[in-house]
Amino acid sequence: METHLRDYTKFRPKPAEEIGEVFRRANRMFVLSCGKCYKVFEQEDEGQYEQLLETLGDDASKVAGHKRVDFLCNEFLSGKKISGLDLGDSDSIGVMSCGLGVQFVAGLFEQTPVYALSDSVAHGLNYPSEVGYHGISLEDDSCAACSQCYLNLTGGICPITNCAKGLLNGPCGGATAGKCEVNSDVDCAWVRIHDRLTKRGELLSFGYVHTRDYSRPSWKTQNNLSLQNRESRGEGFYGGFHPLEKKEVTADRRIEQFAEPQTAVIFLCQHIGKRARPIVEPGEMVKVGQKIGEADGFVSAAIHSSISGKMIAVEDRPYPAAPRKELAVVIENDGKAEMHPSVQPRTGYEALPKEALLEIIKESGIVGLGGAMFPTHVKFSPPKPVDTLLVNGCECEPYLNTDNRLMIEHTEEILAGIGIVQRILSVDRVLMGVEENKPEAIAALSRFSDKYPSVQVVSLKTKYPQGAERSLIKRLLDRDVPPPPKGLPFDVGVMVSNVGTLFAIYQAVAKGVPMFQRVITVSGEGLSRPGNYLVKIGTPIRDIMRHCLAKDVEGLLEEYDVKMGGAIMGIPQANLDSAVIKGTTGLTVLRRHPVGVSEERDCIKCGRCVEVCPMHLYPLFYGLYGKQGDLGKALEHRVEECVECGCCEYICASKIALLSFIRQEKAYARSADKG
Amino acid sequence: MLAVQIKAKEEILPLISSKRLFIFECLGCRDVHYPVEEAQELIGSLDEEIVGKATLDYLCHRDYSREYIKAYAPEIDEAQVILVFSCGVGAQVLSSLLEDRKVYTGCDTLYLSGFQGLTAKEYNCGQCGECYLNYTGGLCPVALCSKNLLNGPCGGSQNGKCEVDPDMPCVWQQIYDRLARLGQLETMERLGAPKRWNASPLQ
Repeated sequence: METHLRDYTKFRPKPAEEIGEVFRRANRMFVLSCGKCYKVFEQEDEGQYEQLLETLGDDASKVAGHKRVDFLCNEFLSGKKISGLDLGDSDSIGVMSCGLGVQFVAGLFEQTPVYALSDSVAHGLNYPSEVGYHGISLEDDSCAACSQCYLNLTGGICPITNCAKGLLNGPCGGATAGKCEVNSDVDCAWVRIHDRLTKRGELLSFGYVHTRDYSRPSWKTQNNLSLQNRESRGEGFYGGFHPLEKKEVTADRRIEQFAEPQTAVIFLCQHIGKRARPIVEPGEMVKVGQKIGEADGFVSAAIHSSISGKMIAVEDRPYPAAPRKELAVVIENDGKAEMHPSVQPRTGYEALPKEALLEIIKESGIVGLGGAMFPTHVKFSPPKPVDTLLVNGCECEPYLNTDNRLMIEHTEEILAGIGIVQRILSVDRVLMGVEENKPEAIAALSRFSDKYPSVQVVSLKTKYPQGAERSLIKRLLDRDVPPPPKGLPFDVGVMVSNVGTLFAIYQAVAKGVPMFQRVITVSGEGLSRPGNYLVKIGTPIRDIMRHCLAKDVEGLLEEYDVKMGGAIMGIPQANLDSAVIKGTTGLTVLRRHPVGVSEERDCIKCGRCVEVCPMHLYPLFYGLYGKQGDLGKALEHRVEECVECGCCEYICASKIALLSFIRQEKAYARSADKG
Repeated sequence: MLAVQIKAKEEILPLISSKRLFIFECLGCRDVHYPVEEAQELIGSLDEEIVGKATLDYLCHRDYSREYIKAYAPEIDEAQVILVFSCGVGAQVLSSLLEDRKVYTGCDTLYLSGFQGLTAKEYNCGQCGECYLNYTGGLCPVALCSKNLLNGPCGGSQNGKCEVDPDMPCVWQQIYDRLARLGQLETMERLGAPKRWNASPLQ
């Protein structure tokens, strides 16, 4: 990749005499240095601290310690890092960063003098206007953000930032051989503008004289915008962002029963944990709801047939949740749709004890339907007491409406499911988080507020990844779950359950219907029949695509990506031969991005991945180490805590394949762990 | 950092009327301050033929934008005008990549104070090249005093508020308070050398 990027780092060390003067006033100084931003990120540390020690000479003995804090101006993360530091016997703090970092640190330490060891510098020619690097990239082109863009008149070359005199109505007349008279190293902006306009077939003629209104917008307008933005970004939990929702495609479509497949491919592993053990033989006839796979071990789940017919094989089939094949039971439909006699409504389930309810959930093969697929009976047997049940109705992924439609159309069943789980966990307090982009669901739920007074519905401002359980716990209860992989919600007394799972629990307990069908959203681009469908588990993705496209599906994957799940976290399907599993929240069809993520582009250290990471991590390091092939180093930056929400890759200004690096690094960490 | 505002339709129309358009829309800073709805409204209200539209983020990233231009080459060739919705940096990068094409912007860009670092924050920095924070208890008079005074307060503040804007605290009052807490009030007596206003640009 061609390198044209500039270094926009914003500070340089103070002159040696001035640093000397600062150190004369200090006895013991702890030094904080910022790793700098807006530069091509090729080396982890620039050695600023070593340079400082060299400058100090004998005074270096006064340095009590040093810590590099990347993006020091990120108050939330840096505050956490600095408060955890052992400052020893230091009586002052020296900061090597731009003015933002110094002021932030000075604000943190009320009683300790904080000294700047560097000067902040601007990059524009016409300092001190607010010029330069406020785009995200490291381009030469700068923008003074003057709020009156002239580019349409000047061939896309800004006279405000490029003309030494900021002239708006043509050249001053002082340029010689195309060079500026103020600085002969600089091209005259107006000569460049003239040349560009000539190339474009336009004329350097405005017809009227431009005067510039320097008065707008007011400082207050600007500040209000920043305040609004600051509040909306930080709201509820650190990190995240608000993607285009695209929910309108299917938000108003009622759940429809999808036709039974001719052949159902029912995977024996539709959960986290051990694969189920098949208990039927090829050639045997099975009925709808009949158990065909037995949970094998504690963390495992039962599997049921979704159609009636003849079992024809147990064989490896392409698996939708990972790029591999998995063992599946293949059943040929006999078209009779005969129910298994075990599927019977249950009366008096309200009085059943906790253990009986858990047994029903286990026998019904229920797993977390939000996509995680963790066996529910295991999850609901926490080793620690739980005081609050959080019901996750966020559905923050773009396009998906599965949970939304369930809340609208099956409101009372979900609330009854909550009641069952409350009995199992013995919790009184239930908070149900629903994003505000689902007003119909919120209205439907609130109609039952008298009948189910213990369930409190909270409308949340839409934000991704709010549906991630840690984010939701932080948002609703302001509790911090200890970091993964060890920390779990019950460590802070919380259990989180998705609305789809609660609906399935109700179906299993009250109606006796095991987990052989689920609601999925089929949405995206280029579909004739997007919608919300109740599909049988094991329905081939090809059947669903054929119906929703209303045409032949051959060649679909050449132009489109088909993801199982939503647009962000969904798993791209290599072919259409896999089938719906319990964790299929939807199928999202997206026109393939003309420009994809790449491993080669340079990181410009803009820090946006750090801003959006809900786990408080620094994803840019995963990219750096990944590219350098130094996988083990990512552990120093806690890669094992990553929840793979994809925020960093989504936001990355250089479109670096961060997730694939992270997955490699996590795999490496796991293998290193084993020995 | 910056915010993007959509230009008035009357301002853009003379440049694009009855031309075939290709539209670039940059969502890179959308999460921060790109008015998606207003842009859609304007685009939707145009009578001109739109031959193609690319929605991307970080149009200001040249490598990335170049790949987009390649991906949409046929549509861009067919268009007479390329209309860009992005900040001034993005518009300039695109203009320079499509030097011989008419590239126009539909946006004005305005500066957001307190955003020049990475994160939304309380502090601002004037990047003046000559940091005063060591003498002011870590509070910047260049960025925070209405009058940019460097050698103490103007004397016009009332109850700790600035006389220019009574909603704004007097930074020299805050500096005094902080220095008092640090036991460094004597630094208030330091008279700084005249500021080198040319100290900054790193060009």
